[in-house]
Amino acid sequence: MDSLQLGTYTFSSRLILGTGKFSNSRIMLEAVKASGAQLVTVALRRFNREQAEDDLFGPLSALEGITLMPNTSGASTATEAIRAAHIARELSGSLFIKVEIHPNPQHLMPDPIETYEASRILAKEGFLVMPYIAADPVLAKRLEEVGCTSVMPLGSAIGSGQGLATSEMLNIIIRESGIPVIVDAGLRSPSEAAHAMEMGCEAVLVNSAVAAAGNPPEMAEAFAEAVAAGRKAFRAGLMHKSGSAVATSPLTSFLGTF
Amino acid sequence: MRALPEWLTDDRETAALATMLAPSSSSSLETLAAESRAMTLRRFGRTMTLYAPLYLSNYCSSGCAYCGFASDRKTPRHRLEADEIRLELAAMKKLGISDILLLTGERTAAADFDYLQQCVSLAAEEMQRVSIEAFPMSVGEYRTLADCGCTGITIYQETYNRERYEALHRWGPKKDFIDRLETPARALEGGIKSVGLGVLLGLSDPVEDALSLYRHVRHLGRTYWRAGMSVSFPRMRPQTGGYEPPFPVDDRLLARLIFAFRIALPDTELVLSTRESAAYRDGMAGLGITRMSIESRTTVGGYCESENEESKEKTDKGQFEIYDDRSAKEFCAALRSQNIEPVFKNWEPVYNGPSSSIKPEVESCL
Repeated sequence: MDSLQLGTYTFSSRLILGTGKFSNSRIMLEAVKASGAQLVTVALRRFNREQAEDDLFGPLSALEGITLMPNTSGASTATEAIRAAHIARELSGSLFIKVEIHPNPQHLMPDPIETYEASRILAKEGFLVMPYIAADPVLAKRLEEVGCTSVMPLGSAIGSGQGLATSEMLNIIIRESGIPVIVDAGLRSPSEAAHAMEMGCEAVLVNSAVAAAGNPPEMAEAFAEAVAAGRKAFRAGLMHKSGSAVATSPLTSFLGTF
Repeated sequence: MRALPEWLTDDRETAALATMLAPSSSSSLETLAAESRAMTLRRFGRTMTLYAPLYLSNYCSSGCAYCGFASDRKTPRHRLEADEIRLELAAMKKLGISDILLLTGERTAAADFDYLQQCVSLAAEEMQRVSIEAFPMSVGEYRTLADCGCTGITIYQETYNRERYEALHRWGPKKDFIDRLETPARALEGGIKSVGLGVLLGLSDPVEDALSLYRHVRHLGRTYWRAGMSVSFPRMRPQTGGYEPPFPVDDRLLARLIFAFRIALPDTELVLSTRESAAYRDGMAGLGITRMSIESRTTVGGYCESENEESKEKTDKGQFEIYDDRSAKEFCAALRSQNIEPVFKNWEPVYNGPSSSIKPEVESCL
């Protein structure tokens, strides 16, 4: 069985869903179900213990077969992210933590230095650390060295829908990584998710593309199918893209004369 | 008199915005709306973050010609005391509010820094996110407030036209145009996480003001790269003091301003308050605005009063008229019917306090 292994957890689905930006929790839950996702991420800042109607955590934790991965979106430093991780673990009981540290709340680009620090410390504390990072092959290896469970490089800026703008760097990260690489952010269409999987990503994380779709549950399902197809293609082995035509008189025929 | 900073008059980066706002602009309002809507949906999804204002005090030392709370107005003055604030906060929490904006007038002996600090601390005990719209402060004072749990400040320049500004602000500390202009930077220096800027539409040429406002946002964004930024579009309405805005902004121009700002600043939070009508706010939800106030009262206190209509101060006039007086429940129902989720809590106090990064370990080895 081809399954996704993250720490001690095994998942048959390779689609991870983000839960923000939906028009309401009912649609969000329907999308989660339709996606077949077994791992979903939810921002600690959207946990609302005082008002059930405004809370994303409660309804998600009631879903069967779903593992929650709280995220630290809103944190701008490692210190804040670490504190958030502790609270999130306390509230959710989940060992997963998606480390998201974006000091600039406008473009939401992850801070590599703070992310590295927070990930190092949280991994040591026993969390299953899933850091959201720029597509930086060296940072990805550094995070692997400090015990992260996976790395989550961005395909393009969050909410930009620019797809796999970073594919050149993603290819290096995938080639060199000893831990699962999960593309997070920037995907707009299922075909891009399929492409990421064909490249060798172990999973993809999607949020805006589903939440902003005309019919989110249907789009979630489409992503699930694309991810499965992309994975199957990767395992089957893609035919090589040929760069140049084969010469009519062989270039190496002289080798026979030796 | 201190000269205007260079960034305020540099028109190179406002060219695109200026084109969208020009009276002769070739982009129709409908085209801008479609673009603005698409950009908002991509970046912010189908959500609207909500907050509510709490007027702490209407004492004031400034003579703003347009304000019902200016120091020469004969309006009754109050300030909320700690026990009253606790009651107000409890009443607001009952409405679901967790993101609060505390307001005061210009600095006075009756409502000074120590008072405001006490109010911020009280609010931070109850609310998830606390911002202030009060008098300009020093970097040190902002740092103290940030330590007490204040994460944002709103400070409108009112108008970026210095001549108009100086004529409108007849006396008091607010008269200093440059000091006001530098206030958001001081707040960010002091560790406040986000600043809300705006002009009071109606006081001066709205397009010129909008271009300056944009330059201010960009200048702060470049200088303080960690800063959260929001832009509000408060439009002058008949005030308690009976001031008639000399440059009235109609519905279409306001819409054009909002769309153009969304297109020019795709990631910035855009705010629309209850100064606007229910119909206008419903129409703007999803088209560019990402943050709205709810359940506003512009009198001092006001949340407990509405629970007990017979109580004091019913004759008080607020700072301005509220045009959208729907309850949180009604307002949220309207948003939901448009497929937009009202978000009451979009912050976690664990992220409060001045931004300070972990020092790299190597430093201690040096």
